[in-house]
Amino acid sequence: MIIRQETCVGCGRCHPYCPTQAIHFQDLKSVVDQEVCYECGCCLRAEICPVKAIEDSPHVYDYPRALRKYFSDPNATHALTGIQGRGTEESKTNDVTLRVGPGEVGIAIEVGRPNIGMDLTNIQKITRALARAGIHEIEPNNPFQDLIQDHSTGDLKPELMGERVLSAIIEIQVKRDRLRHILRTIKEVAREVDSVFCLDVYTLLEPGLTVPPEVLEIIESEGLSWRPNAKINLGLGRAWERKNS
Amino acid sequence: MTHSLHREGTISSLERDYALFIYPARGFNYNGSGPKVRRIMELLYLEAPSNMIVSTLRRNLYSGVRPEEVLESIKDGARIYSAFNNREKLKEILVGIKKLDEGISVVVSGLIDRVREMAAEINLNPHTINLSLGIHGRTDRLPPPDIRQFTTMCGHGMIAPALVRDVIRRIKKGRLALWEGSIILAAPCTCGIYNPHRSQEMLNDLIPLYTVNRW
Repeated sequence: MIIRQETCVGCGRCHPYCPTQAIHFQDLKSVVDQEVCYECGCCLRAEICPVKAIEDSPHVYDYPRALRKYFSDPNATHALTGIQGRGTEESKTNDVTLRVGPGEVGIAIEVGRPNIGMDLTNIQKITRALARAGIHEIEPNNPFQDLIQDHSTGDLKPELMGERVLSAIIEIQVKRDRLRHILRTIKEVAREVDSVFCLDVYTLLEPGLTVPPEVLEIIESEGLSWRPNAKINLGLGRAWERKNS
Repeated sequence: MTHSLHREGTISSLERDYALFIYPARGFNYNGSGPKVRRIMELLYLEAPSNMIVSTLRRNLYSGVRPEEVLESIKDGARIYSAFNNREKLKEILVGIKKLDEGISVVVSGLIDRVREMAAEINLNPHTINLSLGIHGRTDRLPPPDIRQFTTMCGHGMIAPALVRDVIRRIKKGRLALWEGSIILAAPCTCGIYNPHRSQEMLNDLIPLYTVNRW
């Protein structure tokens, strides 16, 4: 995002809207620190500027800066998935897609959330740790997949280093017996990451909204716990098309 | 991925906070989903959720958008994101959606025990659960929990901690009412699941206690 200096009146109303505090005063005008800005568009959508000085940067869709937009602005549709946001439909449509089936689990590592964001070197620390641990089952339909240069090492494309995004999600789908190994690997790499990440596990339910005890036992045995709130697919969906991709 | 499972706050506050998603699946029930989603949306309007957005318009319930505009925008693949502050109201909606039987995925994000009760009461068989195992890494860099209970109500992190502090400051100065402050906080959330009713209660609790610096 940019603020046109010839128009800005320096009122500062836009400052609190920036999730990453990239807007500051300089010579009595508001300016956007281009290094810090995630291109999420919050300041523009807020329509708070009395003189309409905020606009998209002319370079917002230039590669690799465009990744900031795709991974930070929920209204931006990613070219790879064709959906808005940073992830996939994951558990939300699992009753129809059965993406995660019986005896399997999905794991999501949402790097940068909540509130902190990250530069992509941090997510590379996690992908490298996963690769070293022999974990290669990364969801192919997640836009994050596009950033990986070498799946065997977990290296991201070198030109992306230094780019900053609000968050990106590593999604993994495995058999349940791999869950313990993956959680352990994630716990170890957490010490190296200079940002935060949220960790999710999704699985099919047993009757009566019962989480499979085997899954809970693995989570607990790794010293982790689950929050009392969760996202629950109620099982009302059904397919009527043949999946064509 | 909406971040709704990572909403933070006290149990008593989360008791009055549910997100509801209507979600066609690309390649499975996407084509032809428009009229079905529209019928569900009509039902949702009748139950007056706390907030709501359709992915084809992305204007929340407080933006001044008219229901006709929202309904007309719905096409195949449109998704609905909504928030409820009342368990009974949500239950009514789920009964209606079940009766419509449109075959579109329905997801509720909320306290597991409460969703289990609701599902049992209306004879639903939940299919998949997405559990939050919490926040890891440099948690020392996070804003405090009383700010995060606001910011985590937006799935995509669009509510800036500085905006929460700014709204608190303006309410304390008497420049904003609690509800006005809540609506300001709900606006950046383009996924439409920021719950302004819950936010109003949280602001009411915080205002007497909170002191904030300039930013």
